[in-house]
Amino acid sequence: MTALSRTWGRLTLPGKIVFTLIPLLAVLTAGLIAFIIVLGGPIWDLILANLWFIRFLVAATIILVITIPIAFLNIYLEMKVIALMNLRVGPDRVGPWGSLLSVVHGLKVLIKEDFTPTGADSIVFTWAPVVTYGAAVMTLLVIPFAPGMAGQDFNIGLLYFFAVGGMGVVGLLMGGWSSFNKYSLLGGLRSAAQIISYEIPLTLSVVGLLILAGTMSLNQIVMQQSGWFTDWYVFRQPLGFVIFFIAATAEANRTPFDLTEADSEIVAGFATEYSGMRFGFFFFAEYVNVFIMSALTVVLFLGGWNAPFDIDALVNVLNGVVGAVIPSFHIATPFSIALDPGSLGIPLLFVIGLAPLIGTLVLAAPFYLVRSSMRWWVALIIGFVLFNVVAGGLTFAWAYVSFDWVAGLVWFMAKTFAFVFLFVWMRGTLPRVRIDQLMGFAWKWLLPAALLNLFVTAAAVVIVGS
Amino acid sequence: MTTTAGPHQHASADDPRVMLDDQIGAFEPIPPYPPRTEREAEFYTLGDGEMFLNMGPQHPSTHGVLRVVLKLDGEKVVDLDPVLGYLHRGVEKLCENADYHQVISQVDPLEYISSLFCEWSPVMAFEKLLDVEVPRRAEYIRVLSGELNRIASHALFMGWFALDLGGLTPILWSFIERDEIVEMLAALTGQRMLFNYFRIGGVNGDLNHDFMSRLGDWMSRATGQIESNLTLLNENEIFVRRARGLGVIDTETALSMCMSGPNLRATGSPFDVRRAHPYSIYPELDFDIPTRSEGDSLARYLLRMEEIKQSLRIIDQCLHQMPDSPIMAKLPRLLRPRPGRAYAAIEGPRGQYATYAISDGTDQPFRMRIHDPSFIHLQSVGLLMKNNLIADTMAVMASLDPVMGGVDK
Amino acid sequence: MSLVPGLGLVRGMALTLRRFFEPKATIRYPEVQADIPPKFRGRLQLLYDEYGTLKCETCFQCAQACPIECIDMGGMDTKGRFHVHWGAAETYGERREESALRRSGRTVPDPAYDHFEGVDVGPVDDILETFDHDPAHLLPILEATQAHYGYLPVGALKRISQVTGTWYAQIYGTASFYGHLRFEPPTVTAQATAISERRPDEAAFLASLGASLTGRPGGDA
Repeated sequence: MTALSRTWGRLTLPGKIVFTLIPLLAVLTAGLIAFIIVLGGPIWDLILANLWFIRFLVAATIILVITIPIAFLNIYLEMKVIALMNLRVGPDRVGPWGSLLSVVHGLKVLIKEDFTPTGADSIVFTWAPVVTYGAAVMTLLVIPFAPGMAGQDFNIGLLYFFAVGGMGVVGLLMGGWSSFNKYSLLGGLRSAAQIISYEIPLTLSVVGLLILAGTMSLNQIVMQQSGWFTDWYVFRQPLGFVIFFIAATAEANRTPFDLTEADSEIVAGFATEYSGMRFGFFFFAEYVNVFIMSALTVVLFLGGWNAPFDIDALVNVLNGVVGAVIPSFHIATPFSIALDPGSLGIPLLFVIGLAPLIGTLVLAAPFYLVRSSMRWWVALIIGFVLFNVVAGGLTFAWAYVSFDWVAGLVWFMAKTFAFVFLFVWMRGTLPRVRIDQLMGFAWKWLLPAALLNLFVTAAAVVIVGS
Repeated sequence: MTTTAGPHQHASADDPRVMLDDQIGAFEPIPPYPPRTEREAEFYTLGDGEMFLNMGPQHPSTHGVLRVVLKLDGEKVVDLDPVLGYLHRGVEKLCENADYHQVISQVDPLEYISSLFCEWSPVMAFEKLLDVEVPRRAEYIRVLSGELNRIASHALFMGWFALDLGGLTPILWSFIERDEIVEMLAALTGQRMLFNYFRIGGVNGDLNHDFMSRLGDWMSRATGQIESNLTLLNENEIFVRRARGLGVIDTETALSMCMSGPNLRATGSPFDVRRAHPYSIYPELDFDIPTRSEGDSLARYLLRMEEIKQSLRIIDQCLHQMPDSPIMAKLPRLLRPRPGRAYAAIEGPRGQYATYAISDGTDQPFRMRIHDPSFIHLQSVGLLMKNNLIADTMAVMASLDPVMGGVDK
Repeated sequence: MSLVPGLGLVRGMALTLRRFFEPKATIRYPEVQADIPPKFRGRLQLLYDEYGTLKCETCFQCAQACPIECIDMGGMDTKGRFHVHWGAAETYGERREESALRRSGRTVPDPAYDHFEGVDVGPVDDILETFDHDPAHLLPILEATQAHYGYLPVGALKRISQVTGTWYAQIYGTASFYGHLRFEPPTVTAQATAISERRPDEAAFLASLGASLTGRPGGDA
């Protein structure tokens, strides 16, 4: 006993914690194993029986989690791009090129005082940001990021999107009404009027596309646009695309339609009285909305995760041209690299072990040989960096060719962030419209144009299709 | 509903648990005293469906510390009441207790956007009192630096106006322009904002190499850069549609409201103090007085942009005709003008900026009255803004270009 | 506005995109410092020499030139006369008020001047009476004051300032310009004697030192 207590006394604090945890973990592991052995079968059956629900839970969690980096990225993009357009430098202190500044903003809103003004309806006031953010996250659920990568593939995906997306304005209205502030009230009313008005051209502009596509599932719509970029719906529905983009700008409360938070008129609109993380939720929801609207535009009109060219057709053309000269030349389609790492067997270990060394030396050699003033270790560092770039590029190319979802994700993100950039660019350039001009534009121009688009599309389908 | 408070505790309106219905009215911008005038009684009586909105003094775009109480019917402004005085410092009285040289530094922060014009008119009035002739080189330097300051002020106006209409970028571009001019004037005068440069009988320092090299550098690209900045707004449909027909005023009303400067010229009246009552060396210089006939916010904006080009012409002529002479008249150190009165008016970037000074023979002005155009223009805000929307309140106010330092004095 | 709707917007967008790639106007402050012109006035500051003593000569010119009277003086300087009191920014207002009071002719309670106050200013009033309180006769007034007191006490100068309305800085400037006007009482040698009396050993040592150096007993070395 004394020996045990003496040993215990000699341990440092981390040691004490570890030595306490080890038996605990052992017992827990044993219990878990026993649990799985005894009850594993029924649980596994339960999971298999409710696979769709488990899948939904996992997808919803992932979607909820990725909204935060998306919002951070959008905020950083907005700060930096507008700064560069303003001939400023913008964020450049935290992280490389200031890229961590939006993270710091997130931390800042977390530690700020969360304040409820006198006279505010505190329950509604507290739930308003949750509703707005929840609506944003729920709309993201049906966006197909890549083949097979969608939170949920509804057959009424688009309808769901508009229905849930319209719920965001409820949060804004709640926040505006409950703040006990006239600026907030005006902002909330403005957002209600604006978003309800623009909901109509937004929905009507897509109806023509739906007639062409014949489905409301976003996944199906994307798949129908595969092939060359001329198959994208933007070329069959140009007017619908323009109307949709303008209405989406208004839906996402972006300049020139950001009347709900017009800082030179009604201080910050519905968010005037908000502070701390409650304001942060509004703020995040706004930028997630920008991403969602860009993503939906890409999905509906710009081919979603499809590449702008048809790689199989390209390979066939290549086969045709080269095959005329060399009859034996043929590349199999669908194009893929037939590389099964398992087929290499034991030599795979040598490849993994030696390839970095050989690659580094091979890439370092030219630098060392060409420039006599270069130290050997500098050349080695350059070689190592270059090898990493080359290996990373090769891995990426392999993944791009081998996996559909990598290629799809790359194209989808590139297109979506091009649209996010466009939104930010517009914010950096355009002034704000007035509320009567905004409403007049929606009802007098966008709505008739959307109806025209619908009728022309329907007529074309009837004439050409029959 | 009131919470149960102890015998020695008061239910505080700041306590979030307390909702006092009768204290909610404390948040309305209605003054606590009974109405003193008929106008006040009329203004503070709410009609059906109307509400008050207190804009300022801490509002993002009131151009300083102006407070405007708006009476709203939905988004429409039914009536409004500007409340002044948040920046009042009693400059006129301070000037009457300072000697003639010290007045220059007291009037500097009035129109802090264009301080040289604040100095110019008192200095001219004192020169009339003392009957001094200013050397020609000093006059040229005054016109040169003054026109530079006018460009700085108008460039900033473009940015503020666009910012009040919701544009983020023009304000920063115009601040870059202004910063270059202001750095240049700092090389000439020693300060960026409150120059304290004009002296009674001349100016404080001669042109120096630093100033001239910065000026030459800037002049070589000023026209192109300003033109390029203007393409962002002048052809922008959203901007033009918002500013056109906004806050229209005709010449008769403008004159009866005592307007001057670009705001008056935008209605078609070609009144400019530089031509109507020539002073300094302006009669010798060749420049135009741009006018527009519309009298709306867009006209006021475009007119100011036109004036920038005329100011560039004046600067160019000043640089070519700059004579060689001393920059200060011979004056005693302690100034005691003979008893009398003098009035001097100049054309500032906002309009007629005038000083009326009375001397009683001591080394301090007996009375000094400053006529500031911003104050005059602000009194016609109510006239321009009736039945507009909230969004246009700030735009109309920005198009009049008031500076609250000058309004409250 | 152009005939094609939206063309102006597109041109504006093109302009912002061009500016996106242009060189930026920001000065990244800690690494790059702004180019400050040599004439820039900046902030008022007292300079120190390499020994850490104030370079101020107490000439009062700055106080005289200051348009808003934020510069004022009081206390002791390196020569045992005045210390330039140049408080932090928040004390400017107070000192300015004091300065205005002093100009108004009323007495100003200033502890820094207490040391100099112990003179009877009655004779100064008589002298001023003879010169008709006219600051134009400042030099004769000062000479008469020195003739009465043997030197120019601070209290007397302040009295002159209060009664005639002349700035103290101006009186001090006039007095310090003329060599025959002095601010210390002419008892410097008496004090030196007193010191030597307190230290007889030192006096004897100096005497013997002088004798050994020059061969003359008690010679001025």
